[in-house]
Amino acid sequence: MRDGTINLAGVSTAYEGSDRPVIRDISFTITPGEFVVVGGPNGAGKTTLLETVNGMLPITRGRATVCGLDVASRGYEIRRRVGYVIQNFAFDPLAPFTVRDVVMMGRYGLLGYGRRPGEEDRKIAREVMALLGIEDLAGRPIGKLSGGQQQKVLIAQSLVKRPDVLLLDEPFSNLDLGTRDFICGVLDGIADEGCTIMMVSHAFDALPDREVRVLVMNDGHLIFNRPCRADEVEDHVRTLSGGHHA
Amino acid sequence: MLEFLILNNIVCHAVEAMLFASIACSVLGVIITQMNISSIGFTMTHAAFAGAAAGIFFGLDGTVAAVLASLTIAVILGPLSEKARMPTDTILGILFGMMMAIAIFFISYMQYLGTGVNTSSLLFGNVVSLYREEIYALALISIAAVLFVLTFFKEITAVIFNKKIAEAAGIRVRPIFYALLFMIAISVSLSLNIIGGLLLYVWLVTPAAIAYQFCSTVRDLFLVAPLVAATVSVTGAWIGLQHSLPVGPLIAVVFSGLFLVAVLLSPKRRVPKGE
Repeated sequence: MRDGTINLAGVSTAYEGSDRPVIRDISFTITPGEFVVVGGPNGAGKTTLLETVNGMLPITRGRATVCGLDVASRGYEIRRRVGYVIQNFAFDPLAPFTVRDVVMMGRYGLLGYGRRPGEEDRKIAREVMALLGIEDLAGRPIGKLSGGQQQKVLIAQSLVKRPDVLLLDEPFSNLDLGTRDFICGVLDGIADEGCTIMMVSHAFDALPDREVRVLVMNDGHLIFNRPCRADEVEDHVRTLSGGHHA
Repeated sequence: MLEFLILNNIVCHAVEAMLFASIACSVLGVIITQMNISSIGFTMTHAAFAGAAAGIFFGLDGTVAAVLASLTIAVILGPLSEKARMPTDTILGILFGMMMAIAIFFISYMQYLGTGVNTSSLLFGNVVSLYREEIYALALISIAAVLFVLTFFKEITAVIFNKKIAEAAGIRVRPIFYALLFMIAISVSLSLNIIGGLLLYVWLVTPAAIAYQFCSTVRDLFLVAPLVAATVSVTGAWIGLQHSLPVGPLIAVVFSGLFLVAVLLSPKRRVPKGE
């Protein structure tokens, strides 16, 4: 049974070594299987919010739980149940990593120290690569793939752990329309299976045709939190961001 | 250990020391070059160098002092870069300068005082007068380096790929990183007397850089880099001693030449026909 509940109560987060909070006093509850879109202008704290949920940044005030686990004290356990697709990746074309290697890395945290991936892990990796249509690329070096193919590989990596929550940071940047629609369809299917999806995006025309929850961030504060239809998201975000969003 | 193969004791000890030092340094070198943190190796090398020089000045064992100095750098590096809120590279640059200055200060001062202490092996290495204990210590650290990579292979691979992605995958990046720093600190300190503070960095970086020109998987890098390092170091030590040539510099020059050849022959850099 998946429990992708995300609960933040008065949470403020600062970067390591800094006292100044980047996001302040954030409160919301997301129920399992919800599809959440996070919008807002540049520097609003959208990526920081994702990293807070994933337990990668120290919480300076408030309390956060993900999958019923306390983010401040059980970050590693949470990250084994949460997939996170980062923004702005760039891989060296000569880097010694094949697509298969990179996808399998998503299982490493689950396996723990000293255990090598087994046949079951390889089977799951093959299934996820097939879902994303990258099984033919398995033996190719990741650095030699296009941006869209690399994005699919990173999504596959976050899916092989069979996550309860999937966090995506600008997953549609630099993708052509066809690839955007394809990935959007994959995410829709994953949400149907009960996985909570939280996505920072400004590609509002690439959202699944379902009710989504919209969170709008501005200057580190959450200024909007409401479910709405996918075709209403852009209007809400644009209005609340003063015409700018990123 | 290799007396059954090499009858001359001096040559035998030199070959053994070079074999173990090259394996330890090159295995760890794969990690630091792939993580783009070669400057950590550079700083650690000079911390060991400074520690040994200061240790000898104060009448301590040079190797023990080198280990303590480089371990100190390993321990303070992470917290220092966090507290100072500066890029790690800047911190490393400052530490490197400081360590080099300390080393030169003590070496120059000992020469000025005419203490009679020979510090040239700290600078350029010395494979002739080695104690058996030094070779055993090197053998242990080379085995430890190999075991470290074998045990944490998947974690190391993920950290090499991308630290943030590794952390997001649920891997504990910090303990792996600190274990790596610890292993580098011990390895460079124990290798200092043999290779010398000015050349040690070559053993950390160049074999991994040569292997990188030909290897398309991380596993191959960990196999080829120590193989290249051990072959060149052992052959260099043997030839150098046979012909009374300075062993450390000779091997370093061969490494550098091999790197240039590897870049020229690298299949990774070949543009496929039709592109």
